[in-house]
Amino acid sequence: MPECSIETSELTLRYGTLTAVDHISFKVQNGEVFGFLGPNGAGKTTTTKMLTTLLRPTSGKASVLGFDVASEGGKIRPRIGVVQQEQSYEYALNVERNLDLYGFLWDVPKKERKKRVELLLDKFGLQEARKTKPPELSMGQRRRLQVAREFMHDCELMFLDEPTTGLDPQARRVTLDFVRDKVRNGVTVFFTTHIMEEAEYICDRIAIINHGRILALDTVKNVKHKFGGVSVIHLRFAEYNDDLDHRLQSLPGVQRIVHPQQKDEPLKVFAEDANAVLPGIINAAAALGAHITELRVEEPSLDDVFVQMVNSKGGEAR
Amino acid sequence: MNSFLRLLYRDLKAGLWSTKSMIVVQLVTPLFYIFVAGFGYAAVIPKMIVGNREISYVLFLAPGIVVMQIMFAASMAGAMLWIDKRTAMFAQIVVGPFSRWQYILSKLVSIMFQGLLNASIVFLIASPLLVGLRVSVEGACYIVGSLMLGSLFFGSLTLAISVFVKSNEAFNAIFNVLFTPLMFLSSVYYPLEKAPIIIQAASFANPLTYAADMLRAGLLQVYVLLLPIEIVALIAESIIAFAVATVAFRRVKP
Repeated sequence: MPECSIETSELTLRYGTLTAVDHISFKVQNGEVFGFLGPNGAGKTTTTKMLTTLLRPTSGKASVLGFDVASEGGKIRPRIGVVQQEQSYEYALNVERNLDLYGFLWDVPKKERKKRVELLLDKFGLQEARKTKPPELSMGQRRRLQVAREFMHDCELMFLDEPTTGLDPQARRVTLDFVRDKVRNGVTVFFTTHIMEEAEYICDRIAIINHGRILALDTVKNVKHKFGGVSVIHLRFAEYNDDLDHRLQSLPGVQRIVHPQQKDEPLKVFAEDANAVLPGIINAAAALGAHITELRVEEPSLDDVFVQMVNSKGGEAR
Repeated sequence: MNSFLRLLYRDLKAGLWSTKSMIVVQLVTPLFYIFVAGFGYAAVIPKMIVGNREISYVLFLAPGIVVMQIMFAASMAGAMLWIDKRTAMFAQIVVGPFSRWQYILSKLVSIMFQGLLNASIVFLIASPLLVGLRVSVEGACYIVGSLMLGSLFFGSLTLAISVFVKSNEAFNAIFNVLFTPLMFLSSVYYPLEKAPIIIQAASFANPLTYAADMLRAGLLQVYVLLLPIEIVALIAESIIAFAVATVAFRRVKP
């Protein structure tokens, strides 16, 4: 067995003049959940397609389970499972037959197929819809069918490309927990998402990619520590105005201020040292007669780090 | 089980046999042509001399209709690829334990199988018309060869077209525009010997003519003058069409 399930070196893919994936290098260890995070169009799906042998890299190298993706695809494909971002299903067969046929395609024995179909129908909440054809299912049900289907067969490495798109929170949790169970049984997972909450819940390590380049690669905790490197002061005021905003912006030690996007969100002040900034905030509020209704200091979430990284100019690999 | 056979089973179960209405259309349409149009026209068309024999119009028409149905059944190969692309099943299959080569071959073999099955059922239902006919071993070779080569040619052609099609509308439009002249500029409905020279010229370039003439040779022992050339042309064109489909297929982006 190879040391790593996935290893890439300077992997690149160009479409004409557009570089979709730009010299990325990383390793995925056996038995881990590796999160591949990035905004839409960052290069996540293109990378997944290269690793699953659907696209041929323009340059660089990638090996999956010890085999080269460009020349040994036939040795890779029987050992991996792939949930694509695009919805896919046998449109003319009902849910139960979709699962069964997929198991058949992977040469799963009939008895085992029957067992797995029942298990997956239960796990993914598809029992009631078992006789329904995909065009008549809701988007979430179709997605559940697609994810469930990939568990009809055994594999060593699973690629999940935004598998929870369109799922409600409960179905999302069920899906992630099921993936976790598989990981406990030795499956390695390459998990693509732009939902940071999911990455924090399931991933052992993450890579953040933007414009085809990897910006960060480490455990979730270390990425937050290394690339967040700040505290977030959550504030609510009885009244907030431009004067107060200017005062806060100009306080020494304040890196940036994120204004609430929705009514129930607090104002977020990012600072390297919260203790050094807090007296300034309190004084500024007192000077302008603004009443502070909430004040708490938190570590940045992965969401905060992610937004900060992808919004930062340059996006140089670090 | 061999992965190619598993793919073949999928094509039959999820593709060809999953739409019952399609099966009915594929079986009922030729019977209407043979029994309704055939007997209707036979009332006004006297017995005709084709090649070396005098036969009724119904007998002349029946093999032509079977071959035409083979052409329509073969178009399902292109339709299946188009549907697989649209439902992302194509990408799902080629990231599985299958090669693209197996994928394309399974499509062609499944439509060949379907074509042979359809033809057998039509022949069975039309058997009262065929009473008294004896099919020799050579004739059986002509029949099977005609149906298989017809399936291969038209299946490959529609697969190659499906590679480049980007919408449902384009898919339907191309097939309607392509199949109508193929149907009428051929020896399916009438013998070509007495047709206007332009129609004869166009029809002799049409693989559907070759397949129809080959089937008539096998079933009715009716041999047109150019039959040996037509058989060679049909074999060559089927091989070329398959090669074109295989090359075009490499362009399919999952």
